Amino acid sequence: MDSLLMKSNIRNTSIEEWKQKGGKTIGTICCHVPGEIFHAAGLLPVRLRATGCTDDSEGEVWMSSFACSFARSCFELLLDGTYDFLDGIVSSDGCSMATRIYDNYKYYKKKEDSNKFYLKDIGAPRINNTKHALPYYISELNELKAGLENHFGVEITEEKLKKSIAVFNESRELVRELYELRKSDAPVITGADSLKITLASVSMPPEEFNAMLKKYLAELKTRKPLNDYRARLMLIGSAIDDPEYIKVIEDKGGLVVCDATCYGSRQLWEPVACEGEAIASIAKSYLDKTVCPRMSQVSTHNELYDMIIRMVKDFKVDGIVYAKMKNCQVWGSETLYFEDDLKAANIPLLVVEREEIMTNAGQLAIRAEAFIEMVEKEDN
Amino acid sequence: MSEQFDLIKYLSDSVDSLLDYMKKKSPERLWMFEVQKSQWGDIYNAHKDGKKLIYVSACVPPELIFAFDCVPCLLDAIPTRLASQPELSSKYIDFAEQFVPPTMCAIDKVDVGTVFSGDMVEKPDAFIYTTYPCDNSRAIYPAIEKKLGVPTFAIDAPFRKDDRGYRYLADQYKDMVVFLEELTGKKLDWDRFEEVMDISNQTNILMDKVSTLRKRVPCPLPSRLLILNELQLQMIGHPGLLKFFENQYKVGMSNIENGIGAVPDEKYRVTWLQNMLWSNAGIMDWMEKKYGAVLIMDAFGYQKAPLFEDPKDRERVFMDCGRKALASPMIHGASGPAEIYLDLVDQVMDEYSINVAMFVGHVGCKHTWAAAKMVKDTIAEKYDLPTLLMDIDACDARYKSTEEIKEIISEYMESVVGAKPIQ
Repeated sequence: MDSLLMKSNIRNTSIEEWKQKGGKTIGTICCHVPGEIFHAAGLLPVRLRATGCTDDSEGEVWMSSFACSFARSCFELLLDGTYDFLDGIVSSDGCSMATRIYDNYKYYKKKEDSNKFYLKDIGAPRINNTKHALPYYISELNELKAGLENHFGVEITEEKLKKSIAVFNESRELVRELYELRKSDAPVITGADSLKITLASVSMPPEEFNAMLKKYLAELKTRKPLNDYRARLMLIGSAIDDPEYIKVIEDKGGLVVCDATCYGSRQLWEPVACEGEAIASIAKSYLDKTVCPRMSQVSTHNELYDMIIRMVKDFKVDGIVYAKMKNCQVWGSETLYFEDDLKAANIPLLVVEREEIMTNAGQLAIRAEAFIEMVEKEDN
Repeated sequence: MSEQFDLIKYLSDSVDSLLDYMKKKSPERLWMFEVQKSQWGDIYNAHKDGKKLIYVSACVPPELIFAFDCVPCLLDAIPTRLASQPELSSKYIDFAEQFVPPTMCAIDKVDVGTVFSGDMVEKPDAFIYTTYPCDNSRAIYPAIEKKLGVPTFAIDAPFRKDDRGYRYLADQYKDMVVFLEELTGKKLDWDRFEEVMDISNQTNILMDKVSTLRKRVPCPLPSRLLILNELQLQMIGHPGLLKFFENQYKVGMSNIENGIGAVPDEKYRVTWLQNMLWSNAGIMDWMEKKYGAVLIMDAFGYQKAPLFEDPKDRERVFMDCGRKALASPMIHGASGPAEIYLDLVDQVMDEYSINVAMFVGHVGCKHTWAAAKMVKDTIAEKYDLPTLLMDIDACDARYKSTEEIKEIISEYMESVVGAKPIQ
C-alpha cells in the first residue's frame, strides 16, 4: 500500500483499487464542483491537476501558447491517457481557462460518439452578496445531482448527502489539524509534504484519506521538529499542484508554513455547515468560502487579503511568496488589490512568475534564496 | 505643474474636428461621424446637460440607463477608440502594467490606465458592471470600483444562456432599477422606457437588415463599417444610433440598386473569427484593395439581437433584457460554453458565403485562443477551408507592425488561398 504522501500522484493505488472494484470516477475541474455530491452518488471525485506534467505540447496545440500552462498541462494529461481511469468530467466556470479544458475535451470526446462518458458543466456565481446567487447555484447543483442520478442509475438521497458532508468535513478538520502543527515554532512537516497531503485528498476515497491522515498526524506528533530553516514563508497564488515547486524554495532554507492556493488550504478549510437541505447547505458553503479571486466583487478581495493577513500572523510568517501563473489574470491581477496594503503592513513579498512545467527552477531558487536572506530573522 | 489631460474632452473634440472636415470633404459620409459625436459628446457634456454619467460594462442594458435620462460610458469603448492612436493607447497600457500583468488584455489595461491615471477627469456618478465578458474584466472592475469610490452596482452574469440564465439576469436588472432610482431620486418612468425600447427595437431590426445586406454577393457595404456597428453595445436605444443604422441601410440598398459593391471586383469573402483589429483597421482597406477581399462579417459581429417582444409586459421586458445581453457580441461568442462560439462561427460561415477564414486573434483574449483549434477544425471539417491563425493585439499596435501583419496575410492569401494581388 502506498504511503499517504504517495497518494499525491495522479495515478495511485487507491484509484487503481477503486477501479478494480468496479467503482466509477469523475474528474472535477475547479473549486465550485462539490465532491460531496459525487460521493453521495457512490462515485469517486478526482480533482483534475497536472502534477508532474513534463510536456504540454499537445495541450498547446489545442489551447495555444496564450492559455495558462496549468490548463494546457491538465488537457495534455487528459489526452495522453494519464486520466484514462475517468468515467466523466464535471467542470465549473472557475475561470475561463478551466472552462476551456472542459470545452476542448468535450469537443475531443464528441468524435468518439459515445454517451458512456459523463460530461457536465455548471455555473458558479461570481458575486455572492445578492439574494439571487444562492438559489441560482442551488439550481445548478440540483441539475448536476439529477444528471448523475440519471447517467449512473443511482439515487442521491438526503441521507447520503448528509453522510458525505460529514465525511468531507472530517477531511477538512484533519487538514486544519495538520495546519495547526505548522503554526509551531518548530513545525514537523515541510510545505512540500503538506501539499502532497492536500493533493492526496483530491485523489482518493475520502474515508481512506481520513484514516490515513489520522495515522499520519499521530506519527507527525512524534517526529523530530524541523528547526534548520531560515525563514517562515507563506505561498499564495493559483493552481500550485507541484510539491517540487515548494521543494525548490525549501531547499534554500525557507519553510513554507501556510498557503492560499487552489490545492492547499483553500480547498479544505471551512466546513460545510449542514443546516436544512443538504444541497442548499453545500451550495451556501461553497459559495461563501474565500477560495479564489475569481469572484468579481471587492468584498472577496478584501476577505482574501484579511485571510492572508490572519495566516501571516497565526503562522508567524516572515515573508510571502506570490507565485503568479503566467496568463492567469484572476490571480495575476491580485496585486491591484493588496500589494500596497502588504507594503503598508510591512510584510515582505516576493512575486515570481510560474509555469506549470518547471523549467525555471534555477531562477526560482536564486530569487527564493535572495528573498530568504532578506527576510530571515536571527532567532529563526 | 502640467494640466491634467482630459481624455473624454479630447475624444469629443476629435470628433468635432472630424465632423468639420467631413462636412467639407465628403458630406455624404457625415452620418458615420455624427453617431460618434453622439457617443463622445454626450459623455463629455453629461454633467453640463444636468445628467448623471454612469460608467458601465458589457451586459448593462443601455436602454435602462437612457430610460433614467442618464448617460452611459462603456469603459471598453475607450480602448477600442484609442487603439488607432498608439501614442495614447500605449501611454495607458504602460501605466496599467504597474498594477496588472503584461499578459492582461490590452482593453482592460487601457481601462485601468485611463481610470487610474486620472485622465478620466469628470468623475462619474455611478459605476455599473457585470462579470462579463472575461477573466480580465472580472479582475479589474472591482479594482476600478475601489478606485472610483462612487456608488456601484455589480451584476453577476450567468454561465448558461438559457431561461435560467435570463431569469438570473432579469432579477438583477430589477435590482439595478432600484439602484438607479436611488441614484437619480426618481422612479422608473415606464412610458419613457417604452420609448427607448421602441428605438432599441427599430435599431435592432435595422441592424438585422444591414447584416442581411452583407450576405449579398458582392457585399454592398465596406469592411470597416463592422467596427462602427459595435456602438450598439453602448448606444442601443439612443436615437443617434438609430439614425446611423437608417443611413447605413440606405447606403447598402442604394449600392445594391446601383450594382455597387464594397470593392469594384469582390473576389474573396472574408470572416475574422475573434476580436476586431481595432489597432490596425487600415488592414481591412488594404485587403480590399490588394486582393478584392472584403471582411463580410466577424464572429463577434453585430448581426441580430432579440427584441423587446412586449414593452408593456414588465416581467417579459426584464427577461428580454437578459436575452439581449447574453446574445450581444463578444458575450455570445467569447463568454460561456465554447459550443455557442462554434455555432456562431458555423452560422457566419454558412450564411455569409465565406471563402476565406482568418482567426485574427487578440492575444489578450486567451480563452478564445484556447478555443482556436476547435474553431479551425470545425471550419475545416464542414467547409473544407484552412483557417489562418494570426496573433495580434487588438488594442496595442506595438505588438505587431502593419508590415508584419500584411506579410502574414499576403503569404496566406497567395500561398494557401491562391490569390493574386490586384495591385
